[in-house]
Formats: sequence, structure tokens, C-alpha cells
Amino acid sequence: MLQEESDISLIIAQIVQKLKGSNLYAQLERQAWGSWEKRILKSLNSMCTELSIPLARKRPVGEQKELLNKWNEMGTDEPDLSLFRPVYAPKDFLEVLINLRNPNYENGDSLSFRTHLGLIQVPLKVKDIPELKECFVELGLNTGQLGIDDSTQVPPELFENEHVRIGQKVLAEQDSAAAQQYIRQGSPTALRAELWALILNISSQPEDILYYEQLKTNVIQHDLLVDSLIYKDVKLTASNDDYYFVFEDYLYQVLLCFSRDTSVLNHFAYNSASPPKSYIRGKLGLEEYAVFYPPNGVIPFHGFSMYVAPLCFLYHEPSKLYQIFREMYVRFFFRLHSISSHPSGIVSLCLLFETLLQTYLPQLFYHLREIGAQPLRISFKWMVRAFSGYLATDQLLLLWDRILGYNSLEILAVLAAAVFAFRAVNLMEVTSLAAAEAVLADLSTLKVMPLLQIFLFATVT
Amino acid sequence: MAGKVKWVTDIEKSVLINNFEKRGWVQVTENEDWNFYWMSVQTIRNVFSVETGYRLSDDQIVNHFPNHYELTRKDLMVKNIKRYRKELEKEGSPLAEKDENGKYLYLDFVPVTYMLPADYNLFVEEFRKSPSSTWIMKPCGKAQGKGIFLINKLSQIKKWSRDSKTSSFVSQSTKEAYVISLYINNPLLIGGRKFDLRLYVLVSTYRPLRCYMYKLGFCRFCTVKYTPSTSELDNMFVHLTNVAIQKHGEDYNHIHGGKWTVSNLRLYLESTRGREVTSKLFDEIHWIIVQSLKAVAVNASPSLTSSTANDRILKYNLINDTLNIAVPNGEIPDCKWNKSPPKEVLGNYEILYDEELAQGDGADRELRSRSGQSLGPKAGRSRDSGRTVLTTWK
Repeated sequence: MLQEESDISLIIAQIVQKLKGSNLYAQLERQAWGSWEKRILKSLNSMCTELSIPLARKRPVGEQKELLNKWNEMGTDEPDLSLFRPVYAPKDFLEVLINLRNPNYENGDSLSFRTHLGLIQVPLKVKDIPELKECFVELGLNTGQLGIDDSTQVPPELFENEHVRIGQKVLAEQDSAAAQQYIRQGSPTALRAELWALILNISSQPEDILYYEQLKTNVIQHDLLVDSLIYKDVKLTASNDDYYFVFEDYLYQVLLCFSRDTSVLNHFAYNSASPPKSYIRGKLGLEEYAVFYPPNGVIPFHGFSMYVAPLCFLYHEPSKLYQIFREMYVRFFFRLHSISSHPSGIVSLCLLFETLLQTYLPQLFYHLREIGAQPLRISFKWMVRAFSGYLATDQLLLLWDRILGYNSLEILAVLAAAVFAFRAVNLMEVTSLAAAEAVLADLSTLKVMPLLQIFLFATVT
Repeated sequence: MAGKVKWVTDIEKSVLINNFEKRGWVQVTENEDWNFYWMSVQTIRNVFSVETGYRLSDDQIVNHFPNHYELTRKDLMVKNIKRYRKELEKEGSPLAEKDENGKYLYLDFVPVTYMLPADYNLFVEEFRKSPSSTWIMKPCGKAQGKGIFLINKLSQIKKWSRDSKTSSFVSQSTKEAYVISLYINNPLLIGGRKFDLRLYVLVSTYRPLRCYMYKLGFCRFCTVKYTPSTSELDNMFVHLTNVAIQKHGEDYNHIHGGKWTVSNLRLYLESTRGREVTSKLFDEIHWIIVQSLKAVAVNASPSLTSSTANDRILKYNLINDTLNIAVPNGEIPDCKWNKSPPKEVLGNYEILYDEELAQGDGADRELRSRSGQSLGPKAGRSRDSGRTVLTTWK
């Protein structure tokens, strides 16, 4: 369907990955993921037993009608969610990652890794600053950037006008590859929605709209336990956010449909995780009675809805918003909460972050470690959420431009390190984890591109 | 060493007092010699009423122009705008140009409005032309959403029909006076909700007109989804955005109070509607503000009550920037000042309009914005936006 192209390129990527990676890691991943998966399923099942709510049930006709009427304002519902709790939060996941160990690790391996003092103990290969500079060459000091060179002090003739013109041309020619290259320097606000759609190959055909409507019907007809988890998550996070509270209702419309979208299962082909399975009552262990639960295989965690929220600033047509989000999820976001050795996987990002800090800001790193404030404990939540809810929206969108442009999440780790570098002076003076958290509590005034540029290209290494 | 500015206020709000104290100004009472008096609306009315005939001396400043109510009271505002338009028409000013249907091209920013009970019959005539329309009734002298309601049937305003018949020679009690306007029932919605704009404008002098707009204005959202359906006419949570009303709704969220900054709004509109449309929108908003000021005077009482922590910070900074412009360098006021402050002290204000500078360029370019002195295409910028601005501002 609409995903054929990306399916093929992803399968290829998977093959390449398999060739590159070592069997050791694959084994490790499967073990680690296996036990984590068991844990979250157990948590889900016990919640379901405690509350005597089935994992899924068909709605009576009256309830279906009611939901259909309320479809555009589900936010006004006030069901009692006090007994529901998120299946897990980022910090639970961090504990799992911290405990990852490669059982076959040879002491003769990588000298530098032996001196790694961060929380991650898996010796994956990560880039250093010279390599990052090569990789992110377009972010260099001599290249124009949106997020820097479009500020009030800079006359638009110098960069902005021309950049906008090129963007319009790229769109007119519907050149997806060119768009991806172009967006490395940032997207003009007015062109962003179209550029992202072009890069993600989303074109909103009638069959896509139909597909979305089909999912919506599914939501109307069946109630899933995860729906309550989604509901709770939106209420706890997006509804309280200064920027995203307005879009609360869109979030339900996207996420409830998302959890029923079985096409999302396809991404597990290149994700080393596997979708959680459940068994029809009384048929535990019998494979022919196994179903994926939820149908899309993705159990939402605390903060999950924040992946969708920023997109509401770009798309206000529900089926388009849905498609964009789904594609962003299966290309990028899933890597932020599954265990793998992929360079954009969360494990690699954590290691990249810690290594950057320890290598280029050793004093700060050691100081924070001394006072019991391992930096990763603070930055983990930023990376898991791709900084959504932590940065101002315009800054977040500039950051996500680069994720799309470089087809990599590594920039999240670089930004996290850059933030620590920026606040280093204050951080050197704190004496506890709580104080360190306080220094880094508010990122809403940060300007992302200057931070990245300075960290990569202007710091003496 | 210059003397310290002596201040008085009859409003006990920390955002004000902290700002005065941090400048090292000296608090005095109103009976003593003061330089700066931040007055409540009531005090202004008393101080400048015809009976007391108070005149400010050369080293005194207050925070409202004496005739501010000309814009605060809805009926006076409407009268002033209507009169302003007629004046411009008489002068043959290009601003007063109309299209083939008789609608003003550049000054059509107030919906059809009548005063009640005075214009009752005129209103009825208009109402009958489009009987399915909705109208909004607003009491002239109230604020914060009090007393506002919507109607779509003449029977709902029977009261004003009676009054108009009996009171030709009896002066209308100002409490009873209302304005009734055509309700705009297809407002721009975001997230399916209606919102309005709260913008702060500082007028430092009237002649020549010098005004500044605070960059950090905000939008206030309704908590309930908008529906033009007539069954919801009574539901004020759908239609009115005032925080005072929304605060009592069940869904009112105390952490953010249903607000967005104007720059958020701008980002959203540019992202979903494009740059041109958004620039045009903001240009027109600025235009309306300047024209309204030219038609008369300013809103008396922005709420200084803060509903959230962020709000408190905003208002503190707002007052801070305001004082920096109004009392530059913390010097004792002198009415002979050349009051154009340097750019550095503007803080989060931007020049909305500076008549002297505009006129310095020739009368026919009176309303054209100039580089460094106008609001460009993005909130937070102060530079010439070139062609886009010229075509709108003529």
C-alpha cells in the first residue's frame, strides 16, 4: 500500500544491519527484550485482572453511538482513571538498559570502553566529534541554517530568502531525496508540513483516508484496555502542556486508531523486539490462539502521546496527521523505546551521550558522577521523548527537521550533551542530583541550532 | 545626584510594587509631591473629572490618559470609530475608500453595531433583513465578560424595545446601556476551539501618537469545542473566552489557563496556512489597533491579577518594560521630554506606530512602516518586511 517503498528500503536496511552487527548483540537484544517484554505484559495483565476489565471487549450499540457523537471532543469525557497506571515510565526502561550486560564481553576488547564510567555497559560503537562533524557537515559554521541565520539581526537576503525559494522549488518538483537533503538546513515554517510529507512519502490518497476511517470504526466498535492508558497519558502529559493542550482531542483520534493498526506490526521485521502476545482466555501457550495485544503491538508508556503532539502544529486533518505520525513512529520513534544495537537505537544514543560528555567535558562528567548525579539519569527522558515537551515548539520542529534530514536520531544525543555543556558552569556548582535536575529542569528558552553548532564545530576538542 | 522618582498607587499588586521598589523609587502618599501615580480607573475618573479640574504639573505622570474611557466603554468606542470614518471620508482621505457595495476597504473592522436602547428601531430594521442571524449583547460599562449574552430572536431583547419607546427625554442610566453587534459565527478555530487575543499596547503620547505593542501578548481559548448551533447559544463556555468566565468551567485547567503566546499562534498559522496569510493577518491586527487609537483613547484596566505562575512573570516583565519606556532612566518626569526612547529600553515592546517618524517622511506615507520602526512579518522582529507591509498599510 502506501508503505511499500519504505518497507523495501527498511528491509534492505535490516539486511545491511544484520550483516554489520554481530551475532552476540542480536542474542543479547533478544534476551534483554524478552525479559522486558514479559515484565510489561505481566503488568498489563495484572492491571486487567485487578480492575476486572478485559483486555478487549465489543461495545454495546448505545455506547458506540455515544462515542461516535463525541468523536471530536473525547477530551471532555471524565472517566475514572485513578486506578489505571502507566504500564511503565521512561525511568523504568532506563533501569533495564543500565542492567544490560554482554555476557561474552572479552576484557581484551576496546581499551577506551573499559574506562567508560557511565551507566551503559554495552560496548557499542558510537561516533566521536570528528566523525559527527563529518556526518552533520551541513550544520557547520559556514553553512546557513534556519534556527540561526533567520534571526532578527540577520537580513533575509543573506540566507533566508534564497533558502525559502529553494524549498519551494523542491516541493514543486516533488523530489523526496532533494527534500531530505534540503531540510538539513532547516525548513521554513510555511513549507514544513509539505516537506515532511514529501520526505515521509505521505500523499493522502483516498485509500489512505478510507483506511483511517476503517480504524476509526474499529475504535467505535471495540474498547481496548490500552485505550484507558492512552487516555490517562494524554490527560497527564499533553493536556498540561503550554503548547499542546489545545490539541488534546486530536491526540485521542490519532492514538486510539494507532493502537488498532495492524500494519504497524510490520515494523517489527526490522525491530529486534517482538510484539507482545496475548492468548485467548483458557488457551494460554497455544500458538494458534495467540493474538497481538494491542493489535499494533505497541504498548504505550508514560509520555507516549508527546510523540504526536508537536505534529498537531503542522497537520489539522486527522487522517493526514495520523499517517504522518505512523510513519514517524515506524521510522524513528520506535527506536527510542526498544532495545537494539542500531546506531539510532536508544542504547546507542545513551552511550553516545555519555561518551561525548566523558570525553569532551570530563570535569563536568566526573563532578556529576561524584555527587550521585549520573548525567544519563537526567537526559534520558529528553531523548526517549525526542525532546518533545521539553523544548519550545518552534525549536523542537527545527530539531525534528534534522532527524528527518539525516535519517538518524543521533542528533538527540548530541543535543543532550550540548545542553549539559551550555549549563556546565551552573552544574559544576551543584552538590546533589536534585540540584542538578533543577538546573536542567527548564529547557524552554534554549535555541537548539546554536547549541548544536557550538558544541560540534566551535568547541576546542 | 538626580532625585528619586516618587510614586503612589492605589492598587495593591506585587507586580507593580516590586517594579517600583527595584528601581529604588520612593513611595509617597497622594497628598504629597509625587511624580508617578499608577491609578485605578476610579481614581482617574475622580482626579480628572470636571469638578475637581486637577491639572498635572510638569513633573508628573499617570498611567492613563484622562479620556481613556472613550475606548473602554463599548458604546463610546463604536461612536468614535463611526465618527472617525466619517471625518476621513469628508477629508477625502484614501483610507476611507469604499468598495462597490459601500463597505469600507480599510476601515471595516467593526461588525454592524447599534446602541441600545437608543438605536433600537434601526437595529430592528437591520435584524429583519437577516432574521436567522445571531447577535451579541454587551453591556457598555462592564468588563471581563460580565452580562454578555447572545440572541437570535427579537423577543429576547423586549426590554430595550420598551425603554426606547418611553425614554426619549429621560437620560438613559448608563448601567442599562448595551451595544448589540452582529455575531461572527465562523471564527477561526484552533483545536476546534474559539480563542481571542490579549495584546498589550502602551501609548506614551497621543499627539504625536506614539504607541508600542508588547511582543508577548497571548490568546485565550474556550475550554469547550465551538459549535455554531443555536442550542448552545446559552453556553457561555463555548462563546466567551474571558478567563473570568472560563475559570468556572469544569474543564478549566489551572496549570496553563487555556492560553497560548502570540508567537505560538503565529507558528501554528504559518505552519498550517502559510506565511502570506499569516503576515497579512498580523498586519491587519496592528492596523486596527493604530486606527482605533487614532479614533480615540485607551483601555483602562488590564487585569493585574495573575492566574498562573507564568502569568505573574509575564505581568511583572510587562510593567517593567512599560516603566522603562514611560519613565526613561528613572529620571523625574518632565513634560518637555522628547519622548522617543532609544531602542534598547523597549524590552519586549516594539514600536507599533510613531507619528513623528512617519510624518517626517511626508504626509502621503503617513501609514507606511519603516525599517527598524515597524512590526515585521514575525512577532519579535522589528524590521521592514518590505512589500507585504506596504500593500496592506498603503
